[in-house]
Amino acid sequence: MDRIDCDVHVAPESYRTLYPYLSDYWRDYVEEAGVRLNGLALAYPPGAPTSGGLPPSSYEELRRRVLEPAAPRYAVLNCLTAFETHRSAYFAAAVASAVNDWLREEFLSRDERLRASLVVSGLSTEDAVAEIERVGDDHGFVQVLLPARGDLPRGNKTAHALFAAACERSLQVGLHAWGRPGNAPTPSGFTTSYLEDYVGNQQVAQAQLLSFVTEGVFNRFPGLKVLLIECGFAWLPPLLWRLDKDWRGVWREVPWVDRPPSEYVREHFRATTAPAHLPKDEPGAVTQLLEMLGDAGSLLTYSSDYPHEHGDGLATLLDQLGEDDRAAVLAGNAAALYQLS
Amino acid sequence: MKLIDCDVHAQPTEPMLVEYLGPAVRRSLERYGRRTPRITEWYPRVRNAGMRVDAWPGKPGHIWGSDPETTRAQLLDEFGVDFAVLEVLSGQDCYDDADFAADWNFAINQWQLERWLEFDERFLGTIAVPHEYPDLAVAEIERRAADPRFVAVLMPSSAMEPLGSRKYWPIYEAATAHGRPIAFHTGGYADYRGAGRPSFYLEYHVSNGIVMQSQLAGMVAGGMFKAIPGVRAVMTECGVAWAAALRWALDSAWELMRDDMPALERRPSEYLRDHVWFTTQPIEEPADAEHLVYAISQAQLEDRLLFATDYPHWDFDSPTQALPRALPPDLRRAILCENALALYELPRQPAATA
Amino acid sequence: MKVIVAPVSEFPPGARRIVDVGGRSIGVFHVGERFFGIRNRCPHQGGPLCQGHILGDVVADGPGSARVSDELLRIACPWHGWEYDLDTGQSFMGGSQPRVRSYGVRLEPGRVLAAEAKAGLVPGPYQAETFPVRVEDDYVVMEV
Repeated sequence: MDRIDCDVHVAPESYRTLYPYLSDYWRDYVEEAGVRLNGLALAYPPGAPTSGGLPPSSYEELRRRVLEPAAPRYAVLNCLTAFETHRSAYFAAAVASAVNDWLREEFLSRDERLRASLVVSGLSTEDAVAEIERVGDDHGFVQVLLPARGDLPRGNKTAHALFAAACERSLQVGLHAWGRPGNAPTPSGFTTSYLEDYVGNQQVAQAQLLSFVTEGVFNRFPGLKVLLIECGFAWLPPLLWRLDKDWRGVWREVPWVDRPPSEYVREHFRATTAPAHLPKDEPGAVTQLLEMLGDAGSLLTYSSDYPHEHGDGLATLLDQLGEDDRAAVLAGNAAALYQLS
Repeated sequence: MKLIDCDVHAQPTEPMLVEYLGPAVRRSLERYGRRTPRITEWYPRVRNAGMRVDAWPGKPGHIWGSDPETTRAQLLDEFGVDFAVLEVLSGQDCYDDADFAADWNFAINQWQLERWLEFDERFLGTIAVPHEYPDLAVAEIERRAADPRFVAVLMPSSAMEPLGSRKYWPIYEAATAHGRPIAFHTGGYADYRGAGRPSFYLEYHVSNGIVMQSQLAGMVAGGMFKAIPGVRAVMTECGVAWAAALRWALDSAWELMRDDMPALERRPSEYLRDHVWFTTQPIEEPADAEHLVYAISQAQLEDRLLFATDYPHWDFDSPTQALPRALPPDLRRAILCENALALYELPRQPAATA
Repeated sequence: MKVIVAPVSEFPPGARRIVDVGGRSIGVFHVGERFFGIRNRCPHQGGPLCQGHILGDVVADGPGSARVSDELLRIACPWHGWEYDLDTGQSFMGGSQPRVRSYGVRLEPGRVLAAEAKAGLVPGPYQAETFPVRVEDDYVVMEV
C-alpha cells in the first residue's frame, strides 16, 4: 500500500551524538553542567505501553526498524529532542542547530525517501528565524516543527516572523504534541497521571488552533498550512461549531477574520491519523464522525508515529473510508502538502 | 412542568453583598478590595460587557441580573419557566484569605435566599462555597443543606488545584451526603498552562470548553467518581458536543494504560455516564443540526442534558429557539424538563398558589 | 399601508422609535440624513433587534489594522450581536475586506445571498424584514 508517513520519530541517544554539531563551549557546558537527554521521559515514559521503546538514533536503525518493514514512499522524520531544552535561549538555539545538522547528515543525505521537520529555538523568534534561514533551503526539510505546549499560544504576533521565514521557503508548520515539561494542559497545573497528560495533548492542540486563526496567521500568511501531529482529530467538529458560533457574535474583536473561522481551518490545517482515538465497536459512530468532519478525506494524513503506539484506531478509520479517500489519507494529502512526487 | 432553566445568573452589586458581610471583612474590602484579578478585565466581553442589552433593569442601584423583578419578567414570565436555578458567580474567583472567602460566600447565599428564593418560588439556588478552604466550604454547605431550595453546590471550572484533586473531595462528599449535585460552572481564575494565555475574548470564550475537558479528564483519572460513589457533577456553561471525543480518547487511552489508573475499576466512559451531566448553553450550532443529535447520542447524553439560558449573558439561549428542530420530541422534552426534574428531584406539579 | 410614525421635528438624527403596527413591532431609526425601518425581531433567536446598537462596518487589512466605515450601517442584535444591514436587512458576519470580491446577485428575503454593492462581505443566513421610511409633509412615514 502506497504510504507517506508523516510522523516517524528519531532521536539522538545522548548529547554525545550531537557533539560533532556543537561548539567546544557547548560540549564543555553539557559535560560540566550534567545536561542529559532523558528520552523525553515525561512525554514518553520508557515503560508506558504507548511509548513503544526509544526512537531510532541512527540511519541504520531507522532502516532496519521502519524503512525496510514498512517501505513508505516517503517518511517525515520528527526529532523532539529540542522540545525539552531548558530556558537558556542560547543553549536552545545551539541544540536546535545541532539537531538539524544531525538530521541532515545522519538521515536526509542518505536516503531520498526521507524528509524531516526542522527544529528551532522555542525561546526566541529571532533565533528561530535565523535557523530557518540557515537550513530551510535544504530540500529535505519540509516544515518547521513547533511543540504544541508553550508559554504563549503559537499564533501570537511575537511568532509571526517565524511564519514569514517559513513561507518564504515554502515550509509548512508541524505542530507536534508535547513540549517542555511543566506545561500541563490543565488550567491549574500538573496532571497527576500520565493518562491525563497523554489525552491532554488534544486540549492543548485545540487551544493552539484557536490561536492560529484568531491571531490572523492565515490572513498574513495565506500560503501556510499547519499539520497537527499526534494531536488527534475527533475533537475537531465540535470545536469548529463553537468557534464559528462565537465568532458570529464577537468578530469585531478580530475583524481580520472576515469569514467563518472553520473555513480557515479547513483550508490551512491538516491532522495526522495517529492517534485516532475512535470508539472500537461503534462503526455507526465513526461514520457519523466522518460526516461531521465533512472532509476527512482531505483533512487527514497518514502517520505511523513510530515507535509510539495508540491502539488500532487507524484500521477503524480506514475501514470507513472509500477507496479514493483512503488513498488520499495514506499518501495523496501529504504529497500535496509537501509537494512530493 | 415544561421548562426548567438550569443556569441563570443573579448578579449582586458589591453593596448588595456588603450588607451581609461582617465588620472586619467589610473593612478589609473597603481598604484593599478583592485580591484576584477579574477575568472580565483580562478579556473584555466585546458585546455590551457580556450582557444582553435589554437586560439592563434601568433601576437605580441595579445592574444586569441584580433585580429579581426584571429577571422574573424577562425570563420566568416571558418564557414560562417553571424553575430557574441561580448560579451566582461572585465567589468563583475568590482567592482572598479564609475569613474573607467564608464571609463572601455566606453573603452570596444569604442574598440569594432573601432577595430571590423568598421573592418567587420558581427561583432555586446553588450554594456558593469558599472552595479553596474545604472545611469552611463544608460548613457553608451544612448551613444551607436543610433548605431544599438550594439544589446544588457551586464550584468554578478553574481553581488553585485541578478540580479532581483530593483537596476538594470533602466538598463533594458533603454535597453528596446532602443529596446535592455539584455544578461546575465556567469561571474562576484560569491559567492557560499548556498552550499559554489567549489574546482575545473569542479565544478565551471558546477555551471554556477546552478547560472543562481537562478538568473532566482529571476528575476521572483522579478517582473521585469511584471514591464518592453517589457524586453527581453538572458541567455548566461549557458546551456539550465535545463530550464524545473526550470519552473516546479516555477509553482508548485506558485500554492501553489501565495499570496507570489503579483507582479506576471501570472504563472512563462508564464513570462519565454515571456521574456527569451537562447544561446545554451555549449549545453548539452545527450547520447540519442532525450532527448535534449525533454528538449527543455518541456521548450518551440524552438523559444527561439540562436546558439552560444563561440569562442575562449575551450568548443567552432562547428556550423557544435555541434547541434545533432536528431534536426528536422526546429528547427535546427530556432536555427542557425531564432530566432536571430527575436530577434535582423537583415536584412535577407546581405548588398550589395562594 | 402607510404608517405615520412621528413629526420630523420630534425625530432628530440619532433617535429611534419602536412602534407596533398590527401586532408587529417595528423599529424606526434616524441615522445621519436617512431613515430606516426594520422589524424588531432578530431572525436568529427572536431577540428585540431594535434595542441593539447601531455600528458602522469594519474594514481590516490584516491583524491589528482595522477602521470603521460609515458607509454601511448595521444594527447588532442586543442578544448575540448578530448584525443586519439597516438598508436591506441582510445579515452579515465579519468585517469587510478592502479587496473587491463581487457576487453580483440580487437580494431575496430569506435566502443566503450577497449584495452587489456590499463588496467583500460574507452574508449571514438570515434577513431581517425592512420597511421603507420617508419624510412626507414634515412627517416620518413608513410603508408596512
